[in-house]
Amino acid sequence: MTIKLPAVAFRNIFRNFRRSMLSAIAIAVSAMAIMALLALLEAMESDMATNLVSYYTGEVRIRHESFEQYERYNPLHLSLDMDEVLPLVEKQEGVRAATERINFPANLYLNGKNNAALGVGVDFASEEAFIDFPSLVKEGRLPTEGSNEMLIGALLARDLHLNLGDKVTVLTSTALRGSNAMTFQIVGIASFPVGGLNAKVLYVPLDRAQYLLRMEGQVQEILLLTEDGYKERDVAASVKELLQTELSLQTETKAWKDLNAMYSLLSIAKFIYYVMGAIFFLLGSTVIINTTMMVIYERMREIGTLGALGMQGKELTRLFLLEGSFISIIGSTLGTIAGLIIVFILSKVGLNFTEAMSGVDMEISSILYPQVNFFIALFVWVYAIIIASLSTLIPSRRASKIQIVEALRYV
Amino acid sequence: MSKPVVKLLLTLSLLCIIPSFLFALTGEEVIQKMDEMATFETSVSTGSIKTTDRFGTKISTFKAWARGASDSLIEFTSTAERGQKILRTQSSLYLFYPDAEELIRLQGAALRQSVLGSDLSYEDMTEEKNTLDSYTVVLEGSEIVNGHDCHVLTLTAKKRTVAYPVQKIWVDKQTYLVWKAEYSTAQKRLLKVMEVLSTVEVAGRTLPSETKIEDKMKRDSATWMTLDSLEVNVPLGANIFSLENLTW
Repeated sequence: MTIKLPAVAFRNIFRNFRRSMLSAIAIAVSAMAIMALLALLEAMESDMATNLVSYYTGEVRIRHESFEQYERYNPLHLSLDMDEVLPLVEKQEGVRAATERINFPANLYLNGKNNAALGVGVDFASEEAFIDFPSLVKEGRLPTEGSNEMLIGALLARDLHLNLGDKVTVLTSTALRGSNAMTFQIVGIASFPVGGLNAKVLYVPLDRAQYLLRMEGQVQEILLLTEDGYKERDVAASVKELLQTELSLQTETKAWKDLNAMYSLLSIAKFIYYVMGAIFFLLGSTVIINTTMMVIYERMREIGTLGALGMQGKELTRLFLLEGSFISIIGSTLGTIAGLIIVFILSKVGLNFTEAMSGVDMEISSILYPQVNFFIALFVWVYAIIIASLSTLIPSRRASKIQIVEALRYV
Repeated sequence: MSKPVVKLLLTLSLLCIIPSFLFALTGEEVIQKMDEMATFETSVSTGSIKTTDRFGTKISTFKAWARGASDSLIEFTSTAERGQKILRTQSSLYLFYPDAEELIRLQGAALRQSVLGSDLSYEDMTEEKNTLDSYTVVLEGSEIVNGHDCHVLTLTAKKRTVAYPVQKIWVDKQTYLVWKAEYSTAQKRLLKVMEVLSTVEVAGRTLPSETKIEDKMKRDSATWMTLDSLEVNVPLGANIFSLENLTW
């Protein structure tokens, strides 16, 4: 039988247009939700990656080999000689930038009370490649090397009622396992994208941190950024080997992805969301299954006639499958476009999680800006069409099994 | 046995027993004597604190001044913490750091923080010597510690603000020196153990010259406090225990 099945299937959509549209909308809502969810997840993942690399670990982090084992004891004496290590790793192939830091627990002594914070000693000059400090400073300026000055997170300053020009005494444990205190003047208040940093971190010049912590010439960690085209894990391995060969220094040198369990969890979560997305589409597809089944029962007389005229069972299946697929394409296209529009709007206004994230120690920015990703859009579009079309296969196959004599009874 | 002999024996026995009843000290009296022996009108001492833990050994040296039972000032002289001072007066404990523009007053739980990473807390270093104000005492009996006949006493805190709710101490019957002490929580969980390793005679009193302290909350950690010199009843400046002197 020569019949243009796609044309017939397409025409059939309009025979009960409202019902076809209902099926399409169910697919569209699923596609739109998954599109928005994946874009948000993508934004979280890339935001976390940026924050981890900038504020926490660099792309490669070098520490004393035993530091992690004793980390809970704040073993600042397990340090690196920056004059020895830094020049060597800077010259290593694949290393684009390097900086050194000291993280230390700090008690801010105010009005007779100690307030817990996290101090970070940094070289503001070499940090340029890692943290864009000038753009983060909300008030004041960056501390200068050699001065007892600090840059403080905006939330921490607000919570402790501190302002520019105030002096704060910082009490801490030293690398010699004693205690020491030093008074710093607040010269800058910074607004960091990560809520945790905003609420607890203060930055001081590296040389003053070394003096306070009795770590002359020593740093807790050296962070690296890699050149384009180089894999972080390969650079980490080559740097570790270099330090071992040249300085007989055993270090814990790792790529950032190997250091952050949360990031790995997010990658696992992404896979789970893809599975959830498939379930979402299947739920949306129940409407299209229902529609196809109803269409088959309604057109029983027509199926019988087509069969009597010589149409094969496979062709009947294809006819209904095509009809379902056309509805899926329409639904998926509408949903993906709607999802793109939502993501585009969110990329401009942002999603503010400041309240929700307060008190949560996660390296994700308080305001997320999901980005329009056409690869995700294409993926969701195809994904929705395939799952919804395959769903219509179940009732469509039924059409091929209908006996012509049985169908003609409806005449 | 003849009657006169029995009488004589009975009389002798009574004579031996009665004085021990008459002159036996109560727990409070033992503690009072102990505090008296450890307190001087004034004193100046130098010494060191050696701490070993999982990371190795650390030695800090100090000079200390004390007046009566409550006032004490410790200044660290070792390079790592040179110039840092701890002042204890009757009511407060202050820390002075050369690079800090203000004094840090320790109170509450902060007093139990470790001094320079050792097994000693700020309270241990500067403890007041009026034990009976804070503890009730029960005399448990006698024991020999390192060859010294000692009273065994259990001290239970009267107030919740003290560092150690329960103390078991072994006080020398002759010199009233505390040879050993076990500090515990109210639930009898052992917190610290102190042991005197050697002594020194000063102004007719026996004082510890080397003491070992172990914080049982820390693994592989012990602190030895050694007294290198001790002068007692020396004239001290009138304002040596003042905040002004601390920052000077």
